[in-house]
Amino acid sequence: MNITVGLTDVLLASPLIVLFLFSLIPLTIKTLRGNKEQNPAATIVIALIGLGSTAGLLLLFGGSDKTAFNNQLLFDGLTQWSALLAIIASAGALIMMYENPATRGRQFSELIFLALNSILGMIILVAAVNLLTVFIGLELMSLSLYLMIAMSHEQKISKEAAIKYFVLGSFASAIFLYGVSFVFGSSGSVNITDFMQSAATLVKTNKLFLFGIVFVIIGFCFKVAIAPFHAWAPDVYQGSPTPVTSFMATAVKAVSFAAFLRVIATQPLVGSQNLFDVMQWLAVITMTVGNVAAIMQNNLKRMLAYSSVAHSGYILVGIITAGISQNSAFSASSVMFYLFGYSIMTMGAFAVVSLIERSENSVINTDDLAGLAKRQPALSMCLTIFMLSMAGLPPTLGFFGKFYLFSAAVNEGLVWLALWGVINSVISVFYYLRPIVVMYMKEGDADVADNSLHATTVLVYVCAFLIIAIGLFSGPLFDLVEKSLG
Amino acid sequence: MLLSVVLFLPLVFALILIVWPQSQTLRHLALGLSLIEFLASLAVLKNFDQASAALQMVEQYSWIPRFGITYFIGIDGISLMLIMLTTFLTPIIILGSWNSISEKVKGFHVALFVLQTAMMGSFLAMDAVLFYLFWELSLVPMYFIVGIWGGSRRIYATVKFFIYTMAGSVLMLLAIIFLMRLTPEVTGGAVSSSLLDFYKLHIPFVAGEFFTAQTLLFFAFALAFAIKVPLFPLHTWLPDAHVEAPTPGSVVLAGVMLKMGTFCYLRWVIPLFPEAAEHFAWFFVSLGVIGIVYGALVAMVQPDVKKLVAYSSVSHMGYVILGIFVMNQYGVNGALYQMLNHGISTGALFLLIGMIYERTHSRMIVKYGGLASALPIFTIMFVIVTMSSIAVPLTNGFIGEFLILMGTFQFSPLAAGISVTGVILGAAYMLWMVKRVFFGPKGEIVTHAEEDKEHALHDLSLREWAVMTPLIILIFWMGIFPNHFMDYSKKSVDHLIANKHNYTLEVK
Repeated sequence: MNITVGLTDVLLASPLIVLFLFSLIPLTIKTLRGNKEQNPAATIVIALIGLGSTAGLLLLFGGSDKTAFNNQLLFDGLTQWSALLAIIASAGALIMMYENPATRGRQFSELIFLALNSILGMIILVAAVNLLTVFIGLELMSLSLYLMIAMSHEQKISKEAAIKYFVLGSFASAIFLYGVSFVFGSSGSVNITDFMQSAATLVKTNKLFLFGIVFVIIGFCFKVAIAPFHAWAPDVYQGSPTPVTSFMATAVKAVSFAAFLRVIATQPLVGSQNLFDVMQWLAVITMTVGNVAAIMQNNLKRMLAYSSVAHSGYILVGIITAGISQNSAFSASSVMFYLFGYSIMTMGAFAVVSLIERSENSVINTDDLAGLAKRQPALSMCLTIFMLSMAGLPPTLGFFGKFYLFSAAVNEGLVWLALWGVINSVISVFYYLRPIVVMYMKEGDADVADNSLHATTVLVYVCAFLIIAIGLFSGPLFDLVEKSLG
Repeated sequence: MLLSVVLFLPLVFALILIVWPQSQTLRHLALGLSLIEFLASLAVLKNFDQASAALQMVEQYSWIPRFGITYFIGIDGISLMLIMLTTFLTPIIILGSWNSISEKVKGFHVALFVLQTAMMGSFLAMDAVLFYLFWELSLVPMYFIVGIWGGSRRIYATVKFFIYTMAGSVLMLLAIIFLMRLTPEVTGGAVSSSLLDFYKLHIPFVAGEFFTAQTLLFFAFALAFAIKVPLFPLHTWLPDAHVEAPTPGSVVLAGVMLKMGTFCYLRWVIPLFPEAAEHFAWFFVSLGVIGIVYGALVAMVQPDVKKLVAYSSVSHMGYVILGIFVMNQYGVNGALYQMLNHGISTGALFLLIGMIYERTHSRMIVKYGGLASALPIFTIMFVIVTMSSIAVPLTNGFIGEFLILMGTFQFSPLAAGISVTGVILGAAYMLWMVKRVFFGPKGEIVTHAEEDKEHALHDLSLREWAVMTPLIILIFWMGIFPNHFMDYSKKSVDHLIANKHNYTLEVK
């Protein structure tokens, strides 16, 4: 086999290379200083510059529809947008990491190194068209993440969360890999572009291929917390340091869904009615389980974890729509748009939680927000916007996300899924209203941990602004995404 | 341009109030601003051409072209009077809440102005998505008004209010998406969410089968609006919300917000789904009649004055639904008139109850009695408003209920017969309440006030005179010269009744 690496390959992969090099800088500096931690502000600035240049290179070379390294990585609109989304969501999480008591401290350089490598894994994951490369991306992302969770200064539950996530995550990776082996054995290829046209027929005619695809899908369902593969999410979300939770709930979920979208776009659902039915029920169950369980939570992070499961259900509706649609650009862009909105509001909500945490062992229950509106009117207003946006009230980003998602579903005749979606938004109102009730209508002494101006505070304001502004003027962004995915 | 100014002026006011320093001048400023808004709406009234049934002062700008969503507003005879009602009541509400809202004054006025824009938006919007946006936006400030400034069970009441309304409206959202998907057949290829394009759709209707497009869409919309009205048996959120809401909250709720539901039957449900609306008219007429009698009977046994008035709202809104669904000229004209009447008389009742509550801190009927001797002028005002509420001739209520009953008689003498008993029951519970509160032997509160000079009851202050006078004037004005008001809406209503099967609005 003749392997050549040309200039195009390097240019296309330059975002990845640059990001990896940047991830080494803080660690190298620390080593050169005799294992003494440098100023975290410098570390975070380096990391953000790294993310910024990666994003710039992605914009420059990313959306050209070219493949690199002998058809292993595809740089198309989906890669570009989901990678950019991952970078934006991660940047927010990094800012939180810099200021949260559970993550700042002695090992900050190592944490940033791991975070940047996790982002590197994400970009590989979304760019990969070879299922084995997808696996490499998935593992690079996940392994870094397990460590990031375990590195917390928090005493006990973060270790438990890391182990739980590691064991179940490895299990899911194994299932994924097992599925890939069946796909390879039955079709002779693991490259998504190879069975782009033939997957629908292969699923129908070849039972082993169907078997493989089902396992690949289960692997993804685990990563994005689709019920009944969601059981890890609440524990891990609660146990992880808040910035890492935000990182997981936004960036990791967004790219996993993007890769999921790539696999489902080969249209195995068109070939197998049974698989199509099962996926629809998974979506319904996920929405319902997430929302109903969230009602019963007192812990704010756990509540957000279940809410994130519910959002996975909504997004799965979009994924299914894209999987059966003949013109999937519309449904795919509705998924991307929803992921964008979801990431912004989730990031904002976790940023508020992060600001309230006083120490690494803080447990924030919903009732701990009592009286926050009195002391922090602006912050409470922002959290209100995040909650209403998650519940899907206009004129927020969350509303338009749902609007596009359900429009796509109704267009493909999946009215009953859209019906479940809207019924579930009503159920979700129960628990999204609770923090608002507690903040505004109950007396209490909730306050931020430290009243001086924080980068995280600015992040919260930016998120709230984006939710309203992009919500009101969502047309141009949606058109842009749809054009590049078409 | 004028219509947009009127629509968004309150939102601008809200922003001004946010940056205004917390001080005594805040209330004066808010009152002044709301009067400016009222003047602006008078300009709309002046420019309105009442000889035309067309949609007037139309503004349409592209918003989300991918889905044909536009910023599209316009006003016709049906929405004009409700806009006027909204702008007229807001200054009164601000003046009426002068003493009762003592905490977080700024937040209250901000919420009130945002609410005003949201409510007017849902009257003016001619684009389905824009309408949905305003419709849902109106929930949020009301949620805060009840939840922050309300009574002891305010959180239960406000969450119930929010979830009830939201539950109804999400199905409407789905129906809107579905209608948008149908629009390419009338626009020639492009998706559109304009109401005028929706009107052109011919949605298949099969009588006797539930699972057909028009019937399902009809119920998706009708449910959303029925919860808002509220129509029996979906009314249970209303008494809770009314009792727990602060006085100004109750006034907005009864005065304007409930009308969003009934208005939308005229703007959306009947023109969009005429066959289904006709086919199921008996169902809504029956619910309306049940609501009238049930509301009246429940009101009769309430120990709490405010809850009594809340249930009387259920009864009165039953009349409006009745008038709308009999779908003839008398009925719909009467229903539209009754919407205004209910806004004014029930709003006035809540204001009066608020005034007495500020003095005595009780709303229990048994504690009162003989109040007329202590508060003569207050009593006169209360009796006048009661007369309006029970539809005594020369007051506005008479015109509305009379027209509705006349229309109902054409539709079904039986329904008319039963709803007439509602008029009698209405008179019974209101007058019985007036008797127990104002006349008869002196109750606990009055005797206590007479013994203790410090807690003496004072009759209306100058501010309260200012609150009540416009309402009283309007009660008689609308009762004696109904044409001054009905002429504005007559053309539009006639146009709707005559053309409901192929309804369209000319744009001017």
